[in-house]
Parts: sequence; C-alpha cells; structure tokens
Amino acid sequence: MIATAELPTNRDEAFRWADLAALQAARALPAESATVPDPILPDAQRLVIVDGHLVDHLSRAVDLTIERAAIASDHALGRHAGGQGHRIALAPRSVTTIEIARVNAGEDSHTPLEIALGEDAVLTLVETYTGAGWSNALTRFDLARGARVMRAVRVVDAEGFVSARDEVVIGEAASFVCVTLGAATASTRFDAALTLTGEGAFAEYGGALLTAAEQRQECAVRVRHAEPNGQSHQLWRAVAADRSTASLAAAVEVARDAQKTDGEQSLRGLLLQRTATVNLKPELEIFADDVKCAHGATVGELDARALFYMQSRGIAKPRAQALLTRAFVADALDRIADETVREAFVADADAWLERAL
Amino acid sequence: MMATKNAEAYAAVAKKYEWGFATDIEQDFAPKGLNEDTVRYISAKKNEPEWMLDWRLKAFRLWQTMAAPDWAKLNVPPIDYQDAYYYAEPKAKATIASLDELDPEIRRTYEKLGIPIEEQKLLANVEGAEPPRRVAVDAVFDSVSVATTFREELKRAGVIFLSISEAVREYPDLVRKWLGKVVPQRDNYFATLNSAVFSDGTFVYIPEGVRCPMELSTYFRINAENTGQFERTLIVADKGAYVSYLEGCTAPMRDENQLHAAVVELVALDDAEIKYSTVQNWYPGDENGVGGIYNFVTKRALCQGRNSKVSWTQVETGSAITWKYPSCVLAGEGSVGEFYSVAVTNNRQQADTGTKMIHLGKNTRSTIVSKGISAGRSDNTYRGLVRVGPTAENVRNFTQCDSLLLGDRCGAHTIPYIEVKNPSAQIEHEATTSKISEDQLFYAMSRGLDQEAAVALIVNGFAREVLQQLPMEFAVEAQKLLGISLEGSVG
Repeated sequence: MIATAELPTNRDEAFRWADLAALQAARALPAESATVPDPILPDAQRLVIVDGHLVDHLSRAVDLTIERAAIASDHALGRHAGGQGHRIALAPRSVTTIEIARVNAGEDSHTPLEIALGEDAVLTLVETYTGAGWSNALTRFDLARGARVMRAVRVVDAEGFVSARDEVVIGEAASFVCVTLGAATASTRFDAALTLTGEGAFAEYGGALLTAAEQRQECAVRVRHAEPNGQSHQLWRAVAADRSTASLAAAVEVARDAQKTDGEQSLRGLLLQRTATVNLKPELEIFADDVKCAHGATVGELDARALFYMQSRGIAKPRAQALLTRAFVADALDRIADETVREAFVADADAWLERAL
Repeated sequence: MMATKNAEAYAAVAKKYEWGFATDIEQDFAPKGLNEDTVRYISAKKNEPEWMLDWRLKAFRLWQTMAAPDWAKLNVPPIDYQDAYYYAEPKAKATIASLDELDPEIRRTYEKLGIPIEEQKLLANVEGAEPPRRVAVDAVFDSVSVATTFREELKRAGVIFLSISEAVREYPDLVRKWLGKVVPQRDNYFATLNSAVFSDGTFVYIPEGVRCPMELSTYFRINAENTGQFERTLIVADKGAYVSYLEGCTAPMRDENQLHAAVVELVALDDAEIKYSTVQNWYPGDENGVGGIYNFVTKRALCQGRNSKVSWTQVETGSAITWKYPSCVLAGEGSVGEFYSVAVTNNRQQADTGTKMIHLGKNTRSTIVSKGISAGRSDNTYRGLVRVGPTAENVRNFTQCDSLLLGDRCGAHTIPYIEVKNPSAQIEHEATTSKISEDQLFYAMSRGLDQEAAVALIVNGFAREVLQQLPMEFAVEAQKLLGISLEGSVG
C-alpha cells in the first residue's frame, strides 16, 4: 500500500485539476468481485490483467513473446506502478492484434507493461478498464524505425479511479496513434509522455472524456519533438454534465533541433449544464525557429444556430441536441482505424450520452 | 552570405545597455536585512498611522509563513532577503515645492533618461507656458516621490494624485477602504512581501464623472545599489471616471541583482475606465545574465462596477527575470478587460508573463493579445488564465498569443489555462509561433534598409497591434526600445 504522502497533491502544478480525493476514496473501498469484459475482437490475442496480475488461464497469447522485466518511471503516479512487469517484444515486420482487459476488483492495483516493436512491426491494441478501486497502469512503448501502433483505450463499467501513465518513444518514421474514451463513472487521469526521437515520426494522441455527476476526468499529455520533420496531433473532446469536471491539458514541446515540426492541438469542451466545468490547457514550448505549431481551444455549449437549423427541419430539440453532441464526440473517436473497434467505442459513447441527455 | 550577416547580427545583439548609469546622491538607508524592526522603521520614516503599521506587520508575519512560488518557467537563483536594503531615501530635500530646488543630480538623471520626459522642459518650466500635450509626472526616485508636478491642476479637477505615503496621511479613509482589496495581503509571496515593506508608490483617485485632464505618469528608478524597490500603486476610478496612467522605467547598470516586487491595484466602479500602460526597460543583466533586475510584480484590476473597463498595455523589454501577470477581475455586469502585451527577451533574460481574466459578472468581455519576441538564449513564456464563473452568462473572450523567435537558442512558450463553468461562454484561443523569414528580410533590405532597420521594422510590425494601444508618449519610446533590445537579431 502506497503512503498518502507519496502521492501528488493539487498544489503540484501538473495536478492542479486532478481529482486526488476520488483517488483516495477509491483506494479505501473494499474489494468486490469484478467481471471480465467481453472482447471486442474475439479473434485477437488476449491478455487479461486482474488486480495488476496477468491471469494466464483467461488470456490467450498464441504467438506472443512475453517476458518478465523491470519497468520504471519517475512520473508522480506512474512510478508507483513501476517494478517487475511484463515485456512484450514484437518481431520486425510482424502484424499483431492484442486486446487487453484490465480488471480491478478494488483497492490499489499497479500494472507495469512494456511493449517493444521491431522495425516495421504493426500492432493494433485495444484496452478496456473495468472494475473498482484505484487502477494504476504504467505502459511503455518503444517503436523502432517504421513501426506502427494503433491503440484504442476505453474506461467503461468502472468506478473508483483509473490512472494510466504512458511513456512512448517513437523512432524514425514510426507512427503511434492512441484514442482514449472515458465513459464510466470512475474518475480518471490519463498521463502521457510521447517522445519523437526519430526523423519524420508521427504521433496522434487524443480522445473523448465524458463526465457526469461529481466525476472528474482529465488528460495530461506531453508530446516532445526531439528530431526534425515530426508531426503530432492532439485532438481531445470533453463533454461535462451535472457537477462534473473535465480537464484537458496537452503540451507540445519542440526541441532545438526539431526543425520543420508540425504540431497541432485541438481541445474542445462542451458543457451540458452550468454546474459543470471544463478546463483546458493547450501548452506550447518551442525552442526551434522553423516550426508550425497551432493550437485551438474552445469551450461552450452546442451551436445555437445548428440547433435551430435542425429544429427548422423538423427534428425535435432533444434529438437535435443528442445528434450534435454525438457528432462532437465522434470527432475524437473517428481516429480509430479498425471499424469494429470504432463502432464499439461509439456505442459506449452513445450509451453514455443517452444517460446524460 | 547569410551566415556572415547573422554573425554580425548576433554581435549587434550583444550591444550594451544604453541607459546604464548610476546617480550619486547621499541616501538614507534602513539597516540591511528584513525583520519586524525594518517594517517598523519604514512605517516610522513615513509617519504612518498605527493602522498602517499593523497592516504591514500582519503582512510581514504572513510572509514569513509563505514560500516563493515555483510554478513559473523561470530559473530564479536563490534570493537572500536578509542581504538587501528595504528602504533608501534621497537625503536631498524630499519635499520640494518647485523644481528649481530639485537636486541637480536628479535633474541630470532626468536628462539622461531623455525621451519620455518631454516633460524635461516641462519640469524646468513648472510655471511657464503650457506644453501642447500634458503629462503629469510623479517621479519616484528610488523610494520617495521627489517631485510631483501639476498637482494643482489635478486638484482643480478633483483628482487626487499623490505618493501613496502622502495619501496614507492625507486621505486615510480612501486608502484604508481600497488598499489590499484587489490584491489582499496574503495574495502571493511577493505581494505579501510588498505589503510589509512597500516604501512608496502612487495613489490616484478620480472622482465621480471626472475625466482626468491629463495622462498620469510615474517613472520608477531603482538607484541605490542593493535596494529592492517595493512600489505600491493604487488607482480608484469612481463612477463614470476615466484615467490613463503611464508607467515607465529605466534603471542604472549594476552588478548586484536587484529585487523588485511591486503591487498595482486598480479599482473601476460603474462606467469607469482605467487605461494602464507600462514600458519596462530595467537593466536586463549583461550578455551572460550577470546583474539585472528581478521583477516580480503583482498587478490586478477589479472591475467592480457595471460596464467598467480596464485596459492593460505593457511593453516589457528589460529585467533579467520577469514574473508578471496583470489581471482583471470582471465582477461588474458588462465589464470589459483588455490585455495587450509585447515582451522582448534577449541574451539570458527570462520572462514568464501574461494575464488572468476572471469573469464573474454577466456579459463580461475580455481581449488578450500577447506578442512574445525571444532572441539570444532567452526564454519567453506567455502564461494566461481565462476563468468563467458559474453565474457569468454570455461571457466572451478572445485570446491571441503570437511568438517570434530570433535565433535558434531561444525559447518561446505558451501556457494558457482555460477554466469554464458556464456553458454560455464563448472562449477562443489562438496561438502561433514564427520567425522572421529571409524573404521578409530580403525584401526590406532590397528597399534600401540596412539589416538592423529591417529587423526593427519587421518586429515593430509584429508588435503593432499592441504598440498602437499605447498613448503617444509611450509609443515612440516603445518602438525605440524594441529596436534597441533586438538590434540586428535575425532568425
């Protein structure tokens, strides 16, 4: 059990908006039995992690090389998930699909995982968080030249607190795409540090956070361009209902040598009630002088003109609101390449919207 | 070809601070160090009433329990607060009636300062012909106001324009009512320190319905070696009043780091408008970052009244470290906050500056235009907050942050915070980062400009939106400052 003193507080600038009270409350809840979610991709290799432990008899890893490895981080939450974990190495030019279920029955669970991709390896990865308590994950990715990761992460049917720290190193011409959906009642914190260490690397990191009741969800993503000609996109959408808070913090850092970087951030928040809060922090930190970095940030309610137009075409107001909100969220989920996965995620978002609207 | 030019350009950037000089005047110092006795000494020196001393002591005790903020993107060397003087008063006649009696050393200082004291002439002919444009100057020479001109004319309009220590004595009720209302004693580390040891500053009160007949101006100068300057400015614009206040500063060259922690409080009541313009050119340190002023300033405006308006304009070219966020609390319905800023950093300068717009009232609006220019090995950060409270309906905010990088060893950073609790708000934020393109430079030079003039022209164009917000007197100085700060730097 990690001592409270070792956890960050809201006084830390990086945790200014974090729901650390919910984290503490989640840890205090006794463990209950949790069910393993059904897979979205039944044919994929499957890893089931329960309370931080890989459960072999529930998993199905046909041709995966999984070894034990020590995994460390100096991140305020991620470091607690550090230690002995699993390392998956994907051979050069291999094509793999993995679905991971992360189930937590209660209290703390800390899961370190590392995935290394050889040259031109391709990975489709789907992760689902369910359960209760405080689920804390540390995931490291290492992408060799030309490797590709298409990852989709969702938090559904979970209560308590989910914190996920990703540390990603993207090599030359490699590509890392991650879309996250927070649509459970759990408060969340998605931390990520992506480093583009090779020329022409590509990173896309975004998602949709849907908050209701007293819930707080947030992301804190930092993309660091270390080499020239990199490209990064961060596209986040937040929908906040009731008295909830959604916070989006996204930073792009361009190192001295990373000329011709193209960094893009789009952070948008939608408030469903006036008691809700959306916080945005699109941050740029630029040391190179020949770069293209743009960020856009908006917060507000649904476009009154679009609503009016739809009503004038005979669509009832609640339906029009639902459609527009759905489109707003879909912006983020559209980035999921695999159709089956995308549809599953959209269905999760729809179910949430149905409850909230 | 280009490489050679750049080399010349970088050499030119290394140009020394033009206004580095120090004036020799005998000064009265408080003993070095900071404790309750220092606070009592300052208060006694100022003949302050009991309540003022208590207020200071309360702040001092609070300060002792606080820690310096570390969230800014600044590398601040440890400051030894005990190794500084907190009060220095020129021994020259401090309560001069006419300018002829002014210490000739100070007069010479004005001369060297030159530009914005057109005023210099004006200072010489206090009773002479009226100049075409009138600016009232309350010169703060180190810590004590040594000359206040135009007091009579302002008095006729009912405007109170005094040093804050005079105001504490002459208008205790007004000062007591508003001091610390916008920036409370416990606000932040540096504001609390200022509350304890502020030595002088300005108090302005514009009565109901009065449009201040002239632009008010204060020149801050840090003069005594090792004297931190703790200015306190309080401006209250009563219902329907208007005032434009100019603040500008240059400082002598020094080896020792000098601490400056000023507090500026503005209050605008119903339909009042305050325009506060700053040109800041304190000694930025040498090319290695040695010396230079540490500028930790708390500036905040309270738009308390309906339809009140506060506009901050700043041109920041000096100081080794700048930590400054002029803010607006938009409490009154329909109140307006504006922030226009140009921040230039060169060599080893560090600036972390921006604004906060706190929307509390309905239909409040704010505009933020920030232009950051970095050269040399400097770091320039825009840090801003736009907050919309739950009851603030129909809030509008527009934010634009542009950064210009000159050279490849400097940094430009943008850290905007947006916190919205009301769905009817419309918040827009835009940011760009760019450099001076060789095409632009080539074009300007092909029209006959030399490299320095071309860079100055392009930079002035980049900052134009902000510069044109400045009153005439300052616009000229500001353009010149941008040129001097950046001469020859090419991206």
